[in-house]
Amino acid sequence: MGSKIETTQPQFRSGNGGPKPSEMGFVLEDFPGLISAPPRTETDNSFTALLELPAPQAFELLVNSPDAAANEESPAKPSIAGSAEVHSHFPPPPPIFPSDIGLFVRASKFSVFASVENSNNSILSNSNSKKSDIVKQEPSDSDSNPNSSSIAASGQNPKSAKRKEREKKVKESNRKSKKVTPFDASEDGGEKLPYVHVRARRGQATDSHSLAERARREKINARMKLLQELVPGCSKISGTAMVLDEIINHVQALQRQVEFLSMRLAAVNPRIDCNLDSLLAAESGSPVDGSFVGMFTPSMCPDVQYNGNRQHYNQMWHFDGLHQPVLGREEDNPNFITPENSLLSYDASANSASLHSSQLKMG
Amino acid sequence: MPSNHNSIKTRFTYRFARSLKKLNKNRPASQSMKETYRRYHMIRVASYASMASAVGPKRAWSRAVLWKIRNRTLHRTLMKKSRIHVLRTRKVSGNPNDLRKLVPGGEGMDFCRLLNETAHYIKCLRTQVQIMKNIVDHCSN
Repeated sequence: MGSKIETTQPQFRSGNGGPKPSEMGFVLEDFPGLISAPPRTETDNSFTALLELPAPQAFELLVNSPDAAANEESPAKPSIAGSAEVHSHFPPPPPIFPSDIGLFVRASKFSVFASVENSNNSILSNSNSKKSDIVKQEPSDSDSNPNSSSIAASGQNPKSAKRKEREKKVKESNRKSKKVTPFDASEDGGEKLPYVHVRARRGQATDSHSLAERARREKINARMKLLQELVPGCSKISGTAMVLDEIINHVQALQRQVEFLSMRLAAVNPRIDCNLDSLLAAESGSPVDGSFVGMFTPSMCPDVQYNGNRQHYNQMWHFDGLHQPVLGREEDNPNFITPENSLLSYDASANSASLHSSQLKMG
Repeated sequence: MPSNHNSIKTRFTYRFARSLKKLNKNRPASQSMKETYRRYHMIRVASYASMASAVGPKRAWSRAVLWKIRNRTLHRTLMKKSRIHVLRTRKVSGNPNDLRKLVPGGEGMDFCRLLNETAHYIKCLRTQVQIMKNIVDHCSN
């Protein structure tokens, strides 16, 4: 037994730094052995500290707890059955126990199983208000202290095993609630009352991280909203992935438009007059623009044109995207002209006529 | 509507029209396909460059465009080949990686910044398309 304890003890000690369910499983199995272990000089180890408690009180608790425990969770806790043996093995511990007796008493009070969870929650809320600042600034410190004290205080109970399960559940619920209320919940996960095993998961150190993550997520969501407004037809879509797809499509469509227009500019004989003002004036939606896609929007008034133009341009582009690759190759005249002809055929007659004439000039 | 004399729109228009003039000055009489294709490339680069310089170095994407173009003039032939390939293989698929490829300079950004740049890039692309349309229509009449 003694050798077994010695090999297992160091593993348990490492549990103070971070949460490890495996450790808890370890604890459950070796609990009886740990109870009867000789005391160690380190004070962090709760189970060794347990042994340093005054014998009669510890013994009382040991006697009381298995009765309550066995009723509720006997199948899940083989160790509790084993704890019955502890009474016989329990040696009088030397008085090296450093922690408060007050903690001990408090722990014993809260060791009533029926009300553990309720008291847990209430006490958690209390602890939040008290130690919120400390938690934020020094998460590691606050973690280690309650851990050691909590484990020390409650380690004497065989039902600490059971409590660990509850604590697990509480922790998990805290984890879930963490997303809802980052401030409170993160503090919950970070620091509970001494009597609750905080087994602070790595999440403890990421309190600031979780807050930063949350801020970042909100930032990203705000940007996505802006983009949704910017891209036509995106506001209806829900879900980041679909919205991103739409945005990508839109950017691709715009880039293809630029390509096509530059191809037209290269093809058309550019008699660019120095009348730049006319170019700028044309932005406000002249009928010239409308006729370009006259086929699609015959009834729209010029002012409304631009949004409609863009939509229809996209439609046109999506269809012509199939033909586009042709432009990428340097080929003979007929091949080159045909896609452009097919595109131009959508134009109103006036435009196409002028374009054809310009092409004839080129040829 | 009062026109903003120093908006991105006006700056782009001036620069682009200037570059078009330059390109068309040296225009050879022969209208071979190769020539037209080359002109198409130059006009497209001019369009993006004008927009990027109109936007200025404030935005990451405009900086990336200008930087790319500067490097392009050094490695022209290599760029041409890759450009043709890009023209063909542009597909609609996947997600943030594709967005990164689409937006110039998007490779080395975190997602939040990428969204920022995308929004501005879309606005400027729209302006670009609008004005190019105007020019085309103006020239074809």
